[in-house]
Amino acid sequence: MDGTPKPSGANATERNPAPTTGPGATGVGTGPGRVLVAVYAFFSLAAGARAGVQLATRFAEAPIAYSLSAFAALVYIILTVALIRGARRTALVACLIELTGVLVVGTFSLFMPEAFPRATVWSTYGGGYLFIPLVLPVLGLYWLFRNRSAG
Amino acid sequence: MIGSLATGIIIASLVVALIALITTIRNRPVGLVQLVGLGLLEVALLVQAVIAIVKLISGVEIGQTVVFLGYLASTVVIPIFGAYWGMIERTRWGSGVVAVACLALPALVGRLLQLWQVVG
Repeated sequence: MDGTPKPSGANATERNPAPTTGPGATGVGTGPGRVLVAVYAFFSLAAGARAGVQLATRFAEAPIAYSLSAFAALVYIILTVALIRGARRTALVACLIELTGVLVVGTFSLFMPEAFPRATVWSTYGGGYLFIPLVLPVLGLYWLFRNRSAG
Repeated sequence: MIGSLATGIIIASLVVALIALITTIRNRPVGLVQLVGLGLLEVALLVQAVIAIVKLISGVEIGQTVVFLGYLASTVVIPIFGAYWGMIERTRWGSGVVAVACLALPALVGRLLQLWQVVG
């Protein structure tokens, strides 16, 4: 408290007068970002609960599909937390992984259905979830790139 | 589970979602109407949860009890988080959050009905 005469205020004016210093100020988790957080939180819940039960009770039936379910759930959870905390780079990477996951798993589930005997969130490009898993990473990436100037 | 109560919850939730969407489009933050709507939904969801748990305890057998209870708990929690997360953001996007919550609820209640109908 006594060692630093000019704490954060000086730094803020030095770099940029815009109020974008703190992660919560005008970061990726506010404004339209709040809606994204809400959707991702819901998918974390839905995919996480589903994966948890699958892994706990029927893992042997379809290990790859159920591991993928768990992986998808993990990506959603990471994205939810990253958006809330304003960790833009983490969110960006997770969004790219999410988009890749939907596209790869979706394509595999259509052309090599035997690879995924049990459905995951990303099967048929998220068709079981109104294709929200396909639209979500695109919206997420759009929002994160649009928000770049703030970060 | 009671089919009529669940159906009522789904319809009511969609109505609140519609109101929240219109509010988002009209560029307004979460107002009293949405909060009252979420409150009524919460009461109905709690009643539904109690009825379902009582029926489960009294011997009704369903296939996937753990999944069912997970979804049941989620339905009770979502209006609270929706209200909280929607009230933090005092812009149109707060109403957007409420809309998302009220669109998620019918999906969950629908799943609950599916799981309930697979009576073993």
